[in-house]
Amino acid sequence: MKQFNYLAPKTLPEALQMLADYKESAVLFNGGTDVVVRLRDRLIAPDYVVDIKHIPGLDDISFDEQNGLTIGACATMNAIGENEAVCKHYPFLAKAALSVGSRQVRNRATCIGNICNASPLADTGTPLLACDAVILAEGPDGRREIPIRDFFIFVRKTSLKPGEIVTAIRVPYIAGAEGVFTKVARRREVDLSTVCATVLRCGDEFRFAFGSVAPTPLRLVKTEELVRGKKPDAALIEQAVELARSEVAPISDVRASKEYRMDIVGLIVRRGLETLAK
Amino acid sequence: MKYQVNFFVNEEPVELYVDANKTLLNVLREELDLTGAKEGCGAGECGACTVIMNGKPVNACLVLAPELDGAHITTVEGLADREGNLSPLQEAFVKHAALQCGFCTPGFLMTATALLRENPHPTREEIARGISGNLCRCTGYKKIIEAIEDVAEHTEGGVRK
Repeated sequence: MKQFNYLAPKTLPEALQMLADYKESAVLFNGGTDVVVRLRDRLIAPDYVVDIKHIPGLDDISFDEQNGLTIGACATMNAIGENEAVCKHYPFLAKAALSVGSRQVRNRATCIGNICNASPLADTGTPLLACDAVILAEGPDGRREIPIRDFFIFVRKTSLKPGEIVTAIRVPYIAGAEGVFTKVARRREVDLSTVCATVLRCGDEFRFAFGSVAPTPLRLVKTEELVRGKKPDAALIEQAVELARSEVAPISDVRASKEYRMDIVGLIVRRGLETLAK
Repeated sequence: MKYQVNFFVNEEPVELYVDANKTLLNVLREELDLTGAKEGCGAGECGACTVIMNGKPVNACLVLAPELDGAHITTVEGLADREGNLSPLQEAFVKHAALQCGFCTPGFLMTATALLRENPHPTREEIARGISGNLCRCTGYKKIIEAIEDVAEHTEGGVRK
């Protein structure tokens, strides 16, 4: 690691000021499980590392039916995965959070960090996409709410503006919704997703969110449109599987081939419809 | 620039001036001569550097040194009591021969210590999942799991009854 200055702001305005002052020479530091590795490998070489974990309240997780779930920027994966309200109302999100890395990593890694990294295979991306979560950001121009569908732009690119800090993510409460999170990986624990997905049923609507099959996590809007309001019989499921395959654009890499990923997409859509249709 | 950090290692207060670009693992091994925690991958994959920070197991290679201010750290050197008696887990690792080369052992001991504190009587499956963040290239894990099972059965959270 190159030498840098470590800054530990105690308030959000202080942190925003540091980003405004040091601009591109500053890097935000949260759980550190990604940033420390990138610092070590010299993929980044900032002059300032701004640790936001000392800002009170940023690790809060709160829930009520009116506002849904609010996850603070510094809430760790284990804190989310073991949170009572998350386990009760968003079990698929709990499962996604607990599928990241190892227990040790999850004691440091955060959901917001996962989202802000904008990896195509961000494990907590698909449950949040399926729920139409909203990212709360503060910046030089004040506070902004960004629908998660507008947040991911490309591999490691988000719609955050320079100097903005994500303070929390809000996940709407959808009464009666049922979801399934699936992670296909080479080994059961401590691996990156080959494909990850959340299938969510809200009333007579199905939502399909996939990771690692395109440059960003994405919703399969055409497939959702096809099955909306219909009873998924065998013929409709076949159509949905075919349409879903046409909506993704996976690549072949060290984890799997493009063809394998395509097959998994079809399988997850099929199983999701079969499991959740009642 | 050096950063002043005051923290506790194995319940002893420590005051140090650290560089920002050092990790907790560097501080333990190079400043404090506590070489139990090992660097395997340096990227949070292998668990050989696992220590307990503020009650939770973490990868020491992923914590920056200035973050230590105010922290409580337990390393493998802190598991034995003041008279030098090994902890029940350490004894069980010896009894079950749950180590071969020993490189990964301090990490496993710290992860298992934390696991039994949170879940004093885990099932075999819970133990296997619990240690999934630690790699061992020698034992095949079976004896490690058996050692932890033994302690889970005969102690309350890894503490002698």
